[in-house]
Amino acid sequence: MAPNPVPDHVPPEMVRDFSLFTSPGMLPTPNGDPHAAVACVHEGPPIFYSPYNTRDGQGTWVITRAKDQRRVLQDAETFSSHRSIFASALGENWPMIPLELDPPAHGVFRSLLSPLLSPKRVLVLEPAVRERAIALIQRIVASGTSCDVMKDFAVPFTVSIFLSFLGLPDHRLDTFVAWGKDLLHGDDEKRQVAARTIVAFIDELAAVRRKEPADDFMTFVVQAKVEGRPLTHEQVRGVGVLLFVAGADTVAAALGFDLAYLARNLKEQEWLRTEPDRIAPAAEELLRAYPTVQIIRVAKKDIDFEGAPIRKGDYVSCATMIANRDPTEFERPNTIDLARQENRHAAFGYGPHRCLGSHLARREIVIGLEEWLSRIPAFRIKESTAPIAHGGHLFGIENLILDWS
Amino acid sequence: MRIIVHTAKCQGHARCWAQAPGIFKLDDEGSILPGDIEVAEAEQLLAFRAARSCPERALEVDHAPAAQVELDAVQPTARQV
Repeated sequence: MAPNPVPDHVPPEMVRDFSLFTSPGMLPTPNGDPHAAVACVHEGPPIFYSPYNTRDGQGTWVITRAKDQRRVLQDAETFSSHRSIFASALGENWPMIPLELDPPAHGVFRSLLSPLLSPKRVLVLEPAVRERAIALIQRIVASGTSCDVMKDFAVPFTVSIFLSFLGLPDHRLDTFVAWGKDLLHGDDEKRQVAARTIVAFIDELAAVRRKEPADDFMTFVVQAKVEGRPLTHEQVRGVGVLLFVAGADTVAAALGFDLAYLARNLKEQEWLRTEPDRIAPAAEELLRAYPTVQIIRVAKKDIDFEGAPIRKGDYVSCATMIANRDPTEFERPNTIDLARQENRHAAFGYGPHRCLGSHLARREIVIGLEEWLSRIPAFRIKESTAPIAHGGHLFGIENLILDWS
Repeated sequence: MRIIVHTAKCQGHARCWAQAPGIFKLDDEGSILPGDIEVAEAEQLLAFRAARSCPERALEVDHAPAAQVELDAVQPTARQV
């Protein structure tokens, strides 16, 4: 793809031919390891400019050091997250809430929603999460000695948890999966159709819950008050759409990468199976090694940042997979050490926009691995198959066929 | 050992609580309760590790336990899988 013109204020020596979308190892690759491929940026300067580093082909500054990403993401006054990523697909301009709000509005909505996904609240949701994992794995065990992990386990598991959180029955699961796939991985046309469908769906669900309240998330949102006023239709939509987008793909991808790693490392797989207490810290290390999200901010003002002349309007990329392989932050960053201590990884971001669903996501991953390892014997990648991994705005893995015959 | 809590930096990752729920207390949103924490001697290593897990650097260890110095020296080999 032809690179975009580099803005005049970017010194030519700071431009690097690197992109999470087009660099080697980023396109779907059989047996690929896109996380290892991006780690090579640490051989170069800590900050540089990439002329093509968003889904729609915009240039961004690339912040490689964890310490600098922390500074960017903790400073929402300078680095805004108001990008209307979702709405812009529709030619509209409204924020997903709270992700695309800046302070002070952000804090108000964040405080409203945080208790619904707090660590203690997630403890209450856990039994249902475990039940769902067990049901899916039992079905897999009953049907043979091989399966497609994403289709048979990771996606239905994570999407059904998200549906029950929203207060929706499982029978529409396939429909939601298809919408999510088109939205996140489809071409422009599919993306737009999916975005419209999702907006219409969230609007309708909100209208139904206004008339017929239930004990679920959307009822909470339509009944909630912020500064004494109920949320506007657009605000309700912003919250609902964020939940849909955020819950759709990330946890499933994490489970996929984790099980692919364990399928290729049988000694460690057996270690976790025999000592299940090791799974929770191991899941942290796998989150460090295989995070899925590139976070992008927009500079609200001119700032000289660690030698980079960032100007108002510039995009600033904080890719979690890059911070997590920073040798100044992690000892032996490219070695996966399932017993790593003090693992301050960036998989859920830093600062006020720290992933709101992180506590639920963590428990889904740990419970998913616990139940998988206790019910499925030593598993490997099925002979003559190759999982396909990719980079991009959301890293992912497909065609992960495991075999335990 | 004392842990200095920089409440304004806490973003609710809850890594401290996950490792040492008896030492680090959270509010309803999942953020740490304000106020520095005095840690009993028997819990120092646990508290130290939990504090060092904070992605935002919101927890500052005032006096590291002596045992940690030794641990750091052996850790690279001891924690190999």
